[in-house]
Amino acid sequence: MANRNGRLLREALGALSRNKSRTFLMMLGIVLGIGSLTAVLCIGQGTRDRIMKVIAVHGLDMLMVRAGAEKQIFAPTADRGIASLSEADASAVEAELGNVVAVSPVQNQRGFETIFQDRSIKVRVFGVGPAWSDIRRRPVVRGEFVSHDDMAHASKVAILGFHSAKTLFGEAEALGQTIRIGNEPFTVKGVFAEAGASAGAEDFDDRVMIPFTTSARRLFKRPYLEQIVIQVKDVSRMKQTADAARALLRERHQIRGDAADDFFVREPGDVKEAALSTSTTLNTLLIAISMIAMLVGGVVIMNIMLVSVGQRMREIGLRRALGARRRDIVAQFLFEALTVSGLGGLVGVALGAAVAIGLSAKGVAVSRLTWLPFAIAVGACAAVAIVFGLYPARKASRVDPVVALRQGGAS
Amino acid sequence: MIDVDNIKKHYVKGSVTTEVLKGISFHIAAGEYVAIMGASGSGKSTLMNILGALDTPTSGGYRLDGQEVSKLDDDALSALRNRKIGFVFQQFHLLERTSALANVVLPLIYRDELATDAEARAAAVLDAVGLGQRQHHSPGELSGGQQQRVAIARALITDPALLLADEPTGNLDAKSGAEVLALFAKLHNEGRTIVLVTHDKVVAEHAGRIITLADGGVADDRAVSHPRDATAPTPNTDAVAGPSGTATSA
Repeated sequence: MANRNGRLLREALGALSRNKSRTFLMMLGIVLGIGSLTAVLCIGQGTRDRIMKVIAVHGLDMLMVRAGAEKQIFAPTADRGIASLSEADASAVEAELGNVVAVSPVQNQRGFETIFQDRSIKVRVFGVGPAWSDIRRRPVVRGEFVSHDDMAHASKVAILGFHSAKTLFGEAEALGQTIRIGNEPFTVKGVFAEAGASAGAEDFDDRVMIPFTTSARRLFKRPYLEQIVIQVKDVSRMKQTADAARALLRERHQIRGDAADDFFVREPGDVKEAALSTSTTLNTLLIAISMIAMLVGGVVIMNIMLVSVGQRMREIGLRRALGARRRDIVAQFLFEALTVSGLGGLVGVALGAAVAIGLSAKGVAVSRLTWLPFAIAVGACAAVAIVFGLYPARKASRVDPVVALRQGGAS
Repeated sequence: MIDVDNIKKHYVKGSVTTEVLKGISFHIAAGEYVAIMGASGSGKSTLMNILGALDTPTSGGYRLDGQEVSKLDDDALSALRNRKIGFVFQQFHLLERTSALANVVLPLIYRDELATDAEARAAAVLDAVGLGQRQHHSPGELSGGQQQRVAIARALITDPALLLADEPTGNLDAKSGAEVLALFAKLHNEGRTIVLVTHDKVVAEHAGRIITLADGGVADDRAVSHPRDATAPTPNTDAVAGPSGTATSA
């Protein structure tokens, strides 16, 4: 190698391969530290992923703003006709509230006669925005959901609940057919998946969804909403986000001081939030323990290197006599530390990934292997090598060649 | 070639100052073969360390190959050792479990540019010391005499201005020692400047001139009228059995 540092690296590799048992011992601490760090990161991320999936499935990342004060929520009538929430409120929430993925206004009204040819059914019609399907996790299995274009043109399109579609069309194709809702013609644009008996399904399969603009201007002919649904980005900040939404709406509704809200922000159960934060705490603790293991690995490297500097006095003295500068000696020993740490890191990552895969076979949640644990492991190895290798390396470089060459010991 | 001008060396330990060299001067011309003798405590080792640029004098001047050495900093001393001095030690100081060739190349790696023909040069100097067939043997597979000749090859690869040998035969049996001295004689005949530090009068008498130190000063500096002839034939090592029967493994 023509490059001086490249040659010093080769000297370092030579020195490591001349004393394999010492190299192995130096590596051991790093292997265990990085191994546990990798396993913990995989498992921690996996647990988080699993909790997030639970949250997603159950819609636990959703804030719901309802019109009317809290006590009115439990009033028996669904269509209370409380005109406290407006479309502008929904737009303001989307534009101004942080930690938000998506927002949809919701208005609904019961008892619409929906007719296709000779069949009819009484349904509850919902006017919603394009994001609603994702926010509420109600996927369309056939056709499409409300689009932004539908919103812009207040299109007369409808997405049918599974049961509504079955009642009106039987086994026949529903998509593209024209139905009448409250005497207005609508084109069937999509059909929802069957919600069945899943939690909160109630009459979902019997519903019909239309664009919010269409419901507001053409069908219900009213500007106010029953709900605003908000999908939150970071679930662990659910509470703060709910408070921010409350503050925003109070300000918009000019509610001051002790005056009661004319709306109600419903948060998902606190239980899952607690579960997530517990898992985060546990994860942090495990990472901290792994970091300590890494530090121990670093101390092992430092100690063995310090001993080896003593044992390799003659080698160091010889190299100095042959023309190595102090910094060449520092470089060689640092390269040795980096190599040991790097190899140890590779073995450790492999070991940790193997442990994680083994645990996943036993049902522990493990994330798919991503670059993150590897990047962290590599960074940690380099940091440990430099931090703990520098002291012995400098010590080696300060060896007086005159004294070193007179000493015994293997070179 | 070498100008030593009133070199003094003091060591301070607590409140006690020890004067190891008390003003030494001599001149060694290019191509000279000089032995430095002296009992232990005479300052011989300290002088050798200064000549080898491993140490600097407290006062006085030392010029090697036209360059003033006594005032150089550590990096400059390292570079000077690398370029101008070839060391031969009593204990050989070879890297174990490392081939003779890699040991000989070692001085060249401490340069900003590695000669592209480094390995070829190493092979050539190994050939010159009679170890052409042993390039890939590690020190453990070589006899003491062979190891010392690898060390001499390592000293020669940089084509140094000064070959500085410290008791080069001290760890060798009579036969191997004679071979090493014969090699020095050959190098001297080729025009190399050699300084050989020894306490052994017989070894010293192979040189053309003996500087004797005593109590930190030059006690005697005289030419050897008839240097001993290191008549041992140019070593043909492949005929010399190593300690572990390596002669057959070449």
